[in-house]
Amino acid sequence: MLLVKNSKLLSCIVIGIVLNVIPDVFADHHQHQAKVKTMAAVNEIDCQQVDIRCAKTVTSAFSPNGDLWRLWSQKEALYYQLSNDNGANFTAAKRIAITDEKVSARNENRPKIAFDKAEGVYLSWAMPREKKYTADIRFSYSNDYGNTFTAPITVNDDDLLTGHSFNEMLVDEQGNVSIVWLDGRLKKDKQSSQGSAIFMATANMKSGSLAQPQQLFVNKEVVNGTCVCCRLAIDINNNGNLTVLWRHIYADNIREFAITTLNEQKQAYQVSYDHWQINGCPHQGGALSIDDSNRYHLVWFNQGDKGKGIFYAHSDDAGKTLTIPLSVGEQSAQAAHPYMSENNGIVDIVWTQFTGTEHQLWHQSSHDNGLSFTEATMITTAQSGADRAFIIHKQGKRYVSWQRFGQGHWLSQL
Amino acid sequence: MSYLLSKSLIVFALLFIAQISSAEQVALKTQSRLESEPINSQVFDSAIYEETKQRYQGKKWLTLLWSVDCPPCMKELAIVQTLQQQQSELAIVIINVDTYEDSEQQRDKILAHFNLMSQTNLHFSDGLEDHSRYLIDPHWFGELPRSYFIDEAGISHGKSGLASKVLLEKWLLLVRE
Repeated sequence: MLLVKNSKLLSCIVIGIVLNVIPDVFADHHQHQAKVKTMAAVNEIDCQQVDIRCAKTVTSAFSPNGDLWRLWSQKEALYYQLSNDNGANFTAAKRIAITDEKVSARNENRPKIAFDKAEGVYLSWAMPREKKYTADIRFSYSNDYGNTFTAPITVNDDDLLTGHSFNEMLVDEQGNVSIVWLDGRLKKDKQSSQGSAIFMATANMKSGSLAQPQQLFVNKEVVNGTCVCCRLAIDINNNGNLTVLWRHIYADNIREFAITTLNEQKQAYQVSYDHWQINGCPHQGGALSIDDSNRYHLVWFNQGDKGKGIFYAHSDDAGKTLTIPLSVGEQSAQAAHPYMSENNGIVDIVWTQFTGTEHQLWHQSSHDNGLSFTEATMITTAQSGADRAFIIHKQGKRYVSWQRFGQGHWLSQL
Repeated sequence: MSYLLSKSLIVFALLFIAQISSAEQVALKTQSRLESEPINSQVFDSAIYEETKQRYQGKKWLTLLWSVDCPPCMKELAIVQTLQQQQSELAIVIINVDTYEDSEQQRDKILAHFNLMSQTNLHFSDGLEDHSRYLIDPHWFGELPRSYFIDEAGISHGKSGLASKVLLEKWLLLVRE
């Protein structure tokens, strides 16, 4: 018995030595196996067919009747599915009934969907044009809950072959549409590093003339000198004014977040002071949510000399002054791409982390309107790619939506 | 016991031989690469990353990561193009991070535009973008362009954002085969 034990021990030692002697070979082998497994899972999907698992981004939202809509782009078309049981089951994928065109749907860029209270469904997206870094902001509307859609129109009214992208859209119950986007029309010199501008347009499909759709969206400049590759964040404050949070370019390529509320201030407020100097593309925007007391909740991401990682802060004076930024997530664990939303006094923050082999979705919440937060918890993981996570609401309940490339769309209640 | 011991030793010996054989193959492959053309349009993975490291061992070299969606990346590629006109062989590995439907076409078009197809260029693979990013640098969050200045001792100095022409000249033009 002892001999057998010793033999087993010896075998273990020998194998251990072998493993120790050739760590690189085994390391490669393990990595190769993991890669094969991951790619096999992805490759099993026929992405010539319509399949949400093939999408790099998914946009989801609850309509006023409680249906969950999820929208994605594939092969120059937009598809959607509905669920009336909070994502447990979905209808078959249906194509948005418009002519095929390119749709920007990667990283910070993705289509947007919104609803009014009268079965109106609103879509906006960026359509890449024939020249690099050029696109138009597109819009389409359904007055019959998605059965038919209007022919898409171009929202930007400059008729220029230049950058128009990173669109955000809000629609209120009465169908007042606000679209905000990054716009390259003010660039005088394409070699300059002055960045983009933010433009906006509003419309109401019910009062507007569909026969002259271009007149619906009169464009207006919000600010100039913004980062060109980070998503915008928008919300409506208690005065009914649109507020925009974006990454601005200060001085010599210092990329900090700034905020402005339309009709309430002449100059934007700088809200982050992390001193991230980069003549490049951070590909990381922020999130904004304004609560019933007009408190502005903000999250952002920076890798500056003075601040690295995800930060949360709130402001009771529209961003003029902020609370001391709270660090969120593990910087050393690749915490990035935060999203945040307030609902009935609860502030939820979600973000992703990465271990080198596994994507993780993390969550932290405050039940006292942003004064203190629970400990961070991991919600789920992904193996072969992860989209940004978003929080959506349904009748006071909060859900997190996360697209996992090759695995599928994840939705769970917070 | 003796049977099990013998079995273990045989396994050890076989694995040892296999390791030597595998190492020889890697060495031969690398040697073969060293004498051949640059590595072009291949998928980035741990093996090819090790191979590039071995290729430039003891030398200064540069890894440049870029995306078709990144305007400042075009400026850095343009600088590399001008350096290439002064010195055809540059100790540079150019890695594209895009993995979308039309990425390959766009990537090749841009590299051809800057006449950089003859430099070593790799690209990330679908579903493994973050794995590749982490393999290169677990402290890099994906901002672009991203340049790694690797010195003679193999120590890597990462820089986010457009690197200046002066810095790129200093790093790349001093390298002579």
